[in-house]
Amino acid sequence: MRGMSKWVLAIAVCGFPFLKPMAQDCPARPATGTMVADPYSISSKGGALTAQFTLGHSVDSAGYTHFCYKYQAPGQVVEAPTLRVNPGDVINLNVIDGLTPDNSMKMDMGAPSSPPCGDGGAATINSTNVHFHGMNVPPVCHQDDVINTLIQPGSAGFQYNVHVPTTEPPGLYWYHPHVHGFTEFQVNGGAAGALIVNGMEKVRPEVAGLTERVFVIRQQYLVPWIPGPYELTLNYQTSFLAQFPVIDMKPGEKQFWRVANATLQDFLQLQVQVNGTAVPLEMIALDGYPLAQTRNQTTILVPPAGRAEFIVQAPSSGSAIFVTNAYSTGPTGNADIAATLATIQTTNTTASSHMPESTPPTADGVKFRNFAMQPATTQRKLYFSEEFGGTNGPIQFYITVDGQKQKVFEPNEQPVITTKVGAIEDWTVENRALETHAFHIHQIHFRVLEIDGKPAANTDLRDTIEIPYWEGKGPYHSVKLRMDFSDPTTAGTFLFHCHILLHEDLGMMHKILVTP
Amino acid sequence: MKKFLESRYLRLIILVSGIFATSHLALAQTQYVLSNDDLAFPFLTGVGFFTIGANGLPVFQEQVHTGTFGIGGGYFGMNRLAVLDSGTQQCVFASEALNAFIVGVDVSTLTVGGITSGSDTDAGTTNGIGMVMNGNYLYASFSDSNTIGTFAVQPGCSLTFIGDTSVIGFHGGVINGMALHGAMLITSYTDGSIESFTISGGTPISNGDEQLSTATVTSQDATYANAIDITKDGHYAIFGDTSTALSVEVSDISSGKLTKTTIYKSTASISSSNILLSPDETILYVVNTQGATVSALFFDKNSGKLSAGCTSGPLAGLSQNWSYLAGAVLMSQSGNGGGVYVAEFGTVSGIATVPLSFSGQKCSLREAKGSPTADPNTPGLLSIGSFPPRSF
Repeated sequence: MRGMSKWVLAIAVCGFPFLKPMAQDCPARPATGTMVADPYSISSKGGALTAQFTLGHSVDSAGYTHFCYKYQAPGQVVEAPTLRVNPGDVINLNVIDGLTPDNSMKMDMGAPSSPPCGDGGAATINSTNVHFHGMNVPPVCHQDDVINTLIQPGSAGFQYNVHVPTTEPPGLYWYHPHVHGFTEFQVNGGAAGALIVNGMEKVRPEVAGLTERVFVIRQQYLVPWIPGPYELTLNYQTSFLAQFPVIDMKPGEKQFWRVANATLQDFLQLQVQVNGTAVPLEMIALDGYPLAQTRNQTTILVPPAGRAEFIVQAPSSGSAIFVTNAYSTGPTGNADIAATLATIQTTNTTASSHMPESTPPTADGVKFRNFAMQPATTQRKLYFSEEFGGTNGPIQFYITVDGQKQKVFEPNEQPVITTKVGAIEDWTVENRALETHAFHIHQIHFRVLEIDGKPAANTDLRDTIEIPYWEGKGPYHSVKLRMDFSDPTTAGTFLFHCHILLHEDLGMMHKILVTP
Repeated sequence: MKKFLESRYLRLIILVSGIFATSHLALAQTQYVLSNDDLAFPFLTGVGFFTIGANGLPVFQEQVHTGTFGIGGGYFGMNRLAVLDSGTQQCVFASEALNAFIVGVDVSTLTVGGITSGSDTDAGTTNGIGMVMNGNYLYASFSDSNTIGTFAVQPGCSLTFIGDTSVIGFHGGVINGMALHGAMLITSYTDGSIESFTISGGTPISNGDEQLSTATVTSQDATYANAIDITKDGHYAIFGDTSTALSVEVSDISSGKLTKTTIYKSTASISSSNILLSPDETILYVVNTQGATVSALFFDKNSGKLSAGCTSGPLAGLSQNWSYLAGAVLMSQSGNGGGVYVAEFGTVSGIATVPLSFSGQKCSLREAKGSPTADPNTPGLLSIGSFPPRSF
């Protein structure tokens, strides 16, 4: 629910500082109705990817707030480049918080109680950090810790050294800020980019030789936390009236599309339509994990933070459109409106862009491949619920381990789940709210075992999954997910939450501790 | 004198006056369901008057424009309408949250009486202004300023502002629900606090019994009290909880102060932000604000205990037309109330009709055929009222 409570909170506590003119330090966005370019890409070399990002901020001429990751490429500053790594590489990413401290913004979420990682201090709208979404990497300082890591304006920056496992599944991941209470602000319209683990063609040879396209779909509200109209953008390009971003393909050409849902809260129902009819899309991977078998779908539901990788075939002539259909998130949810994301034009002059060569697959194979065959050591039930005191709040968003007291996340809280390395757990996650939620857990992928108590048709490995809203009668919708904590690198404290970012910021999130 | 009384002219005057008085009384005693059409700026708001059709469904008659502005939303547990049927005047008072006005409407003429504001700092622009009243005073809870404004009732459906009482929840909560009985005013706050006041002198004076409700402290559902009702004899205060379950709390107030509440809960639905006792106090109607249903719990007015009753199915139009259920009024001001009319908050707001029926000891709540009745004048209906009001 994009309720007004956060707006009220922001207004009450902060006034309107986010409406003031601010520094215009993000790169210019592409013009509406132009050809969609893939994000600038940085590839690892010699086992390491080295880069420096500076977080910036702009308000565009239409009033949309943008946060951005700026990267100095040769001859130009680009925004949120795609990071390409091989399994076993190290991502050496230095992140500088280039935001201008704004003392009028008094709102802060306090400081974590654990030893700080990075600059420490209180988490504010000007603080940042980076979450490597979907990556099966350790939840520790300088890798993928978001609980204790804070980067503050004015500091020299913070160095990430993320060790990509040799068994990391090839596929599309993404990165974004994850400071509790302010994630939505910074992801709104900008600070998010794609991260690709190379090697998909080794696991799914269908994509070998195809032109690869990387599409990041973002969402921007005029002012985050204020209910109102929003825009979806495709690689930062907006649509306006009948002008849409343009994707170029050769007639009849097959391309490998890697699409990240980097929206704040939009459940995308993706289709490619030719003459108004959805055409089959050959599914290759979800959430950065190759499917056991490719399958054809005409509609791909991608929850917020999810990714879909699929093969698209252009029509033999004429044009097509890339759309997201309307999606109901329930009585208390937001209407996800239908939108044309791009027009697809066919031309024989289209340039090809093949995937970079990747390292050979390792002997270790791909992580999580066989764990569903192992029996679960623990069963848990969790549930989403909401509590509305009024139309404008107070609103509480909960994710609760069944049997525990419902509470919203606090940075200083103790983990609500403790398990140990080696555990294989089955989590049944129910949705008891009248709004669809998107369950996400850091550090691992899970296998979908059941949906609404019945064996799942597709036991895919995911890191984010939608759970539809309760209709007011009958059983709650649910998913049963198998969690694999057998890898020692999962040891530590990390998060699970709803990936509707407003919900996450308002506390629909908790910690899990995996002991060594 | 006697000669005068016997005159034909006088008898004519009395006859005409009697007819006029009778017709006036008849008009005033028309049963209305009322809506606070809480339109936000720039749309002028008003009070909607619905009569009851032969099928029991409300039928829209007219809207009395108040000339002020609402906010189109706010807390569920607040009553934005207060009804007075004192014998000397019949009034509906509507709070207009954007302007912080309280507007009196004369029910017999369907015209605006007085428009009154509180102090300069009284405000309810975020979540509204709730009201309760007796024959002498109207109390208005301003949710932004966290004040209770006391207003003296004047002739002509007008008010005179007397003063403010600043209030705050145990943990800084904002005033939400209110109910009064005799010399006692009870409030709830958004942090789960509840408090009682003495109003024997007009202006509320705290009884020093502010406390967190039991559900707030102990419930796994992170519950807090919202709407309030009080039994006819003033023995029990009942709190409808905002919760992720159906949750109601009862406090024995026979001592003149709040006591620790007893929780009654069920997973039959979601939230209980609005509640209403039946006239005979055998039924507690619970509006499952988020659950899209209405529940009827059996209430024992002697012991203050609640027991399971029945719950309706999801009301029609959920998701398509509306998102939340809100305020409720009784279908009948006698017996078990016969069911409730319920406000539906959404882009297409309306009033649902949910009659109560019995088969032996088993109750049933089913939405009436043809329900809901659209409210043509507001997209954000939260509060409805009834005229005449319940007797207590």
